[in-house]
Amino acid sequence: MAGAFGWNTSFPSMKGYNIIGKINMTVIKTNNNGQQKRFFLNKPIYFWVRLILGIIFALASIDKIIHPAAFAKAVYNYQILPDTLINLTAIILPWLELILGIFLILGLWLPGAVLLSNILLVTFFGALVFNLVRGLDIQCGCFIISQETTSNLSMCWYVIRDGIFLLLGLYLLSHIFSGKRKALTTSMKNQL
Amino acid sequence: MKNPKSERISSRMFWQTGAIIFLAVALGIVVNEIRPDRLPLVADWSMEAQLNVESGQNITISLDRAKRSFFSQKAVFLDSRPPEHYELGHIQGAQNFPWEGFEKYFDTVMADIPQDALIITYCDGISCTWSKDLALELFFRGYDNVRVLVNGWSLWVEHQLPIDEGL
Repeated sequence: MAGAFGWNTSFPSMKGYNIIGKINMTVIKTNNNGQQKRFFLNKPIYFWVRLILGIIFALASIDKIIHPAAFAKAVYNYQILPDTLINLTAIILPWLELILGIFLILGLWLPGAVLLSNILLVTFFGALVFNLVRGLDIQCGCFIISQETTSNLSMCWYVIRDGIFLLLGLYLLSHIFSGKRKALTTSMKNQL
Repeated sequence: MKNPKSERISSRMFWQTGAIIFLAVALGIVVNEIRPDRLPLVADWSMEAQLNVESGQNITISLDRAKRSFFSQKAVFLDSRPPEHYELGHIQGAQNFPWEGFEKYFDTVMADIPQDALIITYCDGISCTWSKDLALELFFRGYDNVRVLVNGWSLWVEHQLPIDEGL
């Protein structure tokens, strides 16, 4: 960290150590940069997957937290939940997404965060496919009347997008249970 | 033989899952309670409830009444779906007024429609919100006689009433 602030030679008490100090800190600075580069370059794929999924969850939650009524309407448009659960879902789900996003980014409580992320991703994916199959456009809660309409194409795009997110989630879950990942297990031990 | 490491992870997984859910529920409810635009925890999302205007009046119209108004030519039908849906088929004589593009279409579509005319909006599907949103916006702009034919397109086709197809 000292390298980041530069080496201050003006302290009287350090005058006798200037040259040695500069040399040492140059080495340390180089090492820090190298370590920082290696820190990111050497990170395994699951680190990046965790980071990407965490950012997606966190970003997805912000607009929903700011506009709860609009999100409640979006939940209604899925036409899956009973009326009594629509507002509760709109109030709680965005916070769940935000917490999961933060935990995934920071690597906190990973087993629980990854399991819950997967439960959410499976639910989202299932709800989308269910509506695509029954021909309901989730943007308006209305029927899709033609295979060629833009609403149907956008529904297909959502399914593909959520399918990719689900694959990322399943990849993380497999790593949680996999014995191959010594580094993650060690880091989890430290964090838990 | 059970793997103790795997058991440890499973056990952590479950208590952490519970704790995260608890945290989300607590945060969600507390923040909702203190924000000015709070949502009621439980609300009536039925289409009837959504179509109650402030005066308590309900602005839905039954198929029978809509049908009578159609044949007596006393109503203007507005199709609130996007043009590509409208072009595939719509209630005979209906004008296309897509809700998603309200400002763009308002002046053109409403130019010849008097404020006191009976206007019937429709889209497709029991939960379709376009016709409701369009009707409420028109109502607030002074068109007091606007009504919504819920699930209009499907009902109209199902009862084999006159349509224009594939324009």
